[in-house]
Amino acid sequence: MNNLFVVFFSMALVNNMILAKFLGLCPFFGVSKKTKSAVSMGIAVLLVMLISSAVTWPIYYYILVPYGVEVMKTVIFILVIASLVQIIEMAIKRTNVTLYNALGIYLPLITTNCAVLGITFINVNQVYSFWEAVFAAGGAGSGFLLVLLIMSGIRERLEFSDTPKAFKGTPIAFITAMLLGLSFLAFKGMV
Amino acid sequence: MNATITVTILSSIGFFAGLMIYVASKVLPKEDESLAEAARVKEFLPGADCGACGYPGCFAYAQAVAHDKQVFAKTPCPILAQDKGGMKKLEDYLGLQAEVIVGKKAVVHCTGGSHSIVEYTGLQTCAAATQLASGFNECPYSCLALGDCVRVCPTGAMSIDQEHHVAVVDWETCIGCGLCVTACPQGLPELIPANTPQYVACNYQAKRDIPGRKRCPDGCIHCHICEKVSEEGAVTWDEKKDLPIFHVTQVDTAIEKCPRHVIRKTVAYEEKELEVVGSAQETG
Repeated sequence: MNNLFVVFFSMALVNNMILAKFLGLCPFFGVSKKTKSAVSMGIAVLLVMLISSAVTWPIYYYILVPYGVEVMKTVIFILVIASLVQIIEMAIKRTNVTLYNALGIYLPLITTNCAVLGITFINVNQVYSFWEAVFAAGGAGSGFLLVLLIMSGIRERLEFSDTPKAFKGTPIAFITAMLLGLSFLAFKGMV
Repeated sequence: MNATITVTILSSIGFFAGLMIYVASKVLPKEDESLAEAARVKEFLPGADCGACGYPGCFAYAQAVAHDKQVFAKTPCPILAQDKGGMKKLEDYLGLQAEVIVGKKAVVHCTGGSHSIVEYTGLQTCAAATQLASGFNECPYSCLALGDCVRVCPTGAMSIDQEHHVAVVDWETCIGCGLCVTACPQGLPELIPANTPQYVACNYQAKRDIPGRKRCPDGCIHCHICEKVSEEGAVTWDEKKDLPIFHVTQVDTAIEKCPRHVIRKTVAYEEKELEVVGSAQETG
């Protein structure tokens, strides 16, 4: 039990998907302009990470390993994640139009999000058990959500601050990301 | 042996994933009516996603129309408003008449008479060229003809007149979305009502003279003659830019009297009558 929490927090803070592993950087800059859309994207990624980890773990250990075709994991994981996102998008579109409108383009974008594929590979490389894999996915998703939330909050305030003209927009966002990454470096001592 | 297993596993997982999507599409409840309606409305829209209606794209506009038909009546799609046949189809489908609106069209306030004073070999965009001393032309307010506006135009109405080195607008295809207005670093294009018969083809801002740079031989000399010979209110003066602004009234004498012949006629001048778009009634 204790081990699960270590996995969760190490994935959320120490090995943060964005700031330590540099995965999922496109939504980090693309969707972090407004807090509302950042949170929607974060939650969507968290959900897809959880489900895809729970689905790819059995596929890897019960199908790929016994037949000795672990090399196939990239193509099969992509296939599984892509179809999962399709089903989730369909489910949201048919049941909750408001949520569908709010998520908009972000849901299909997750299909091509490297953070989702990344967490399934991390699970395999670290030889996590099933529950460890699920907790790692939860931690990675929460860390992603947390960083997106912090970044969007900072960027919203930057809009109103007196930034030098040359730094307006993306350049100051890069500098913010750098400082954010430095501050997350402090978590290295935690686990 | 190994290859067979690989192929079998991959194809069976792919087949299974496809099957799951099919099952999900059958099991899940039907698509919400508002989305289906929006998809039907979108069929009538041009699909340019230009954003001139005020919505982020054609589908968002279709959703708003599906939610409240009055959205279409009050703010008809500007592209559709120029296509009477397409307008009629959507009006029939929704069962209402759209309000008559006068569309907007872009004009470029430059004749292209200014010649280059240096040879510019840098990045071939206007945005890059203006970073250095307001461009390479003698007139620092002139069109650089590198086509930033051409690249953003969703309908291809913008083109570069290679002979005069100036951007020109084709009013037939211009939809008045205003993308060129924001794209031009010199601020040359402007949206004017589609029934304005003339505009001034100069952007030289005399109150902001730049040493060593001057207006071209075609440029407005700020003599105010157009304002003096026209009837009251037909021509107003932009004090900030020191240039005349023409309105819907036709000013034949001013066009004639202008010493630089820099007042250009638009399509609406030839047509004489007000070009009213967005009406379902056939005007003939």
